[in-house]
Amino acid sequence: MQLPSLDQIQGLLNKQGYISEEFIAMSLFLSMQLEKPLLIEGPAGVGKTEIAKVLAKILDTELIRLQCYEGLDSSHALYEWNYQHQLLYLKMLDESNTSLKEKEANIFSEKFLLKRPILDAISREKNVVLLIDEIDRADEEFESFLLEVLSDWQITIPEIGTYIAKSKPHIILTGNRTRELSEALRRRCLYLWIDYPSFEKELAIVQTKVPNIDQNLGKEICLFMKALREMRLEKTPGVSEAIDWATALVNMNIDHLDKKIVEDTLGVVLKDWQDMKHTQDSLDELLLKTGVSKKM
Amino acid sequence: MKRQTSISGNLVQLCRFLRRKGFSLSAADESNALSALKLIPIKKESNFRMCLKSIFPKSKYQQERFDEYYNEFWFQLAKAVDSKVKKVPEKKQTPAQKKEAQFDSIKKWLNLEGSTEEKEIAAPSAIELLSKKHFEELSEEELRLMMQLLRKMAKKITHTKSRLRQKSKKQKTLDLKRTMQFNLRKGKDVQRFIFSENKNKKLKLVLLCDVSKSMDLYSRFFIHLIYAFQNSYDKISTFVFSTALHEVTEILNNHEFEQAFEMISDRVPQWSGGTSIGSCFQDFVKDFGYQKLDKKTVVLILSDGWDTGKPAVMKSAMQQIYKQTKKIIWLNPLAGNENFSPEALGLKTALPYVDVLASAHNLESLKLAMNQIGRRRSLQPNNQYLEMN
Repeated sequence: MQLPSLDQIQGLLNKQGYISEEFIAMSLFLSMQLEKPLLIEGPAGVGKTEIAKVLAKILDTELIRLQCYEGLDSSHALYEWNYQHQLLYLKMLDESNTSLKEKEANIFSEKFLLKRPILDAISREKNVVLLIDEIDRADEEFESFLLEVLSDWQITIPEIGTYIAKSKPHIILTGNRTRELSEALRRRCLYLWIDYPSFEKELAIVQTKVPNIDQNLGKEICLFMKALREMRLEKTPGVSEAIDWATALVNMNIDHLDKKIVEDTLGVVLKDWQDMKHTQDSLDELLLKTGVSKKM
Repeated sequence: MKRQTSISGNLVQLCRFLRRKGFSLSAADESNALSALKLIPIKKESNFRMCLKSIFPKSKYQQERFDEYYNEFWFQLAKAVDSKVKKVPEKKQTPAQKKEAQFDSIKKWLNLEGSTEEKEIAAPSAIELLSKKHFEELSEEELRLMMQLLRKMAKKITHTKSRLRQKSKKQKTLDLKRTMQFNLRKGKDVQRFIFSENKNKKLKLVLLCDVSKSMDLYSRFFIHLIYAFQNSYDKISTFVFSTALHEVTEILNNHEFEQAFEMISDRVPQWSGGTSIGSCFQDFVKDFGYQKLDKKTVVLILSDGWDTGKPAVMKSAMQQIYKQTKKIIWLNPLAGNENFSPEALGLKTALPYVDVLASAHNLESLKLAMNQIGRRRSLQPNNQYLEMN
């Protein structure tokens, strides 16, 4: 398949409603061209996962997602044998006189192999997008499973041998920096850090995602979010919260912010009660920064 | 081999320059960069820069610094064109200055007001009273009760379960995977079932306890604390230090508390003497680091941070410990004071490498700090200081 060029990627990203900086497009482009995984880090809610989704749409291919969690092991990420099936099969063969060797060959064939996301992704005919989400949540041991896939595009299954990728998937890894990832993993990837967007970019994002938003309201929301992020909060709200908030306000037919509205809907933006309390205390100041209270 | 054009030559120079700035770049990265440059439309200079920017940096810090280094490199290169020598002097942010900057931000944060969270009012029970009482004020009887509580706490912390599974004798959860693997070796029939349970988390603890003069009031209590820990958990190593470092793991393991305490005071000639934390830590890294430190180890330092040695020694030792461990928790009994700020030079130097700084002046604050042991290292600096009172 012909891979899109740099300018095309930028255009396609915009077309899919993903407002991006040039730099993001460049990273995506290079990761596709060089066939290297792309490791994306950044605070929560800045659209890391979204990149993978949009990429799948652009390439018109499937997105396979592996959500990482503590205790995730190879049998959930790479492959597992279907033991129940194998046992039943053995019982069935009891009466027939197949040799032990044949039985073994049968039992460890692809028929009994349960493909988990990673094996699934590399055994497809068509290049897919493989999203390994929140890799930092998995144990350090799990990173080592990944190394073979990430650099050599193969998985070694002891009973069968080495399983080489039929097609190389576009791999995107995301992380929140809850822990430092290993050097070995970083070395195999291209790195991209996404930060909270600038005011203009966030406004563009909100306007794209919530098309029927009032011009003024959009600006006010983005200014408010910007001021909010400058405060020292436990959980700083991301872009997705801004979009949620905008959607909520538009659905309530509101076209401007004031103190009461902000107080009532703060739960959409902040997800921590201490943050809420803290924000409510300094709401006047925040609104002043946003330029809302001047009008009143 | 290809003839060296000026682009590839300059690129290699850039890589060398970046390596000196702390980037870890392999030859593969260089060749990647070269092949990437072939792919992108070089209509404008920024494309060139962005392309390299997406390949060379491997962390947030590096990505943020890249532009600055990039400009510096070309600037230096232009300057060096006449005088053939392309040696670029090291300047701007050295790692030391970087840490300094980090430290400043922590310091700023520390000077902020504490949380205005309301305190719940309840009738004080015996334990509750105890948990707010300063350790220095404890009587013998209270101390014994305290030890009981501590032992309980230590047990809870050191016995957590991982999500990973292992073979078990308890016939509770059948493990089909292991059952198949086991029985297939024996032939067609299932002869035996294999069961599994959750693995114990292998947490290792290293305690470094300051027993110098300035810590006199607390060190007896801290030895108590260590004793409680060591009794309920075996993967623990204990060291005491003032001007020199001593391992006391064995003594604590094999003797009753009173006896152990006496032995330690005897064996450690500098008991209640001066402090040179930095050099003691350095000794620890040199002599025990390889053996005791790994990514499953939590290092607990009990000290007030008054160091009479050179800050540079302290810094390099802390840096190494930080790199090799899961977490560093620093318990400072003086931090219980309302007017406390980390002024002691030793503590100040060490602070950028400390994951959690907590007071340990009463049971409550200790509990808070202990709860941090099992958690992962947080990379956000504002989690570093535990709010007390």
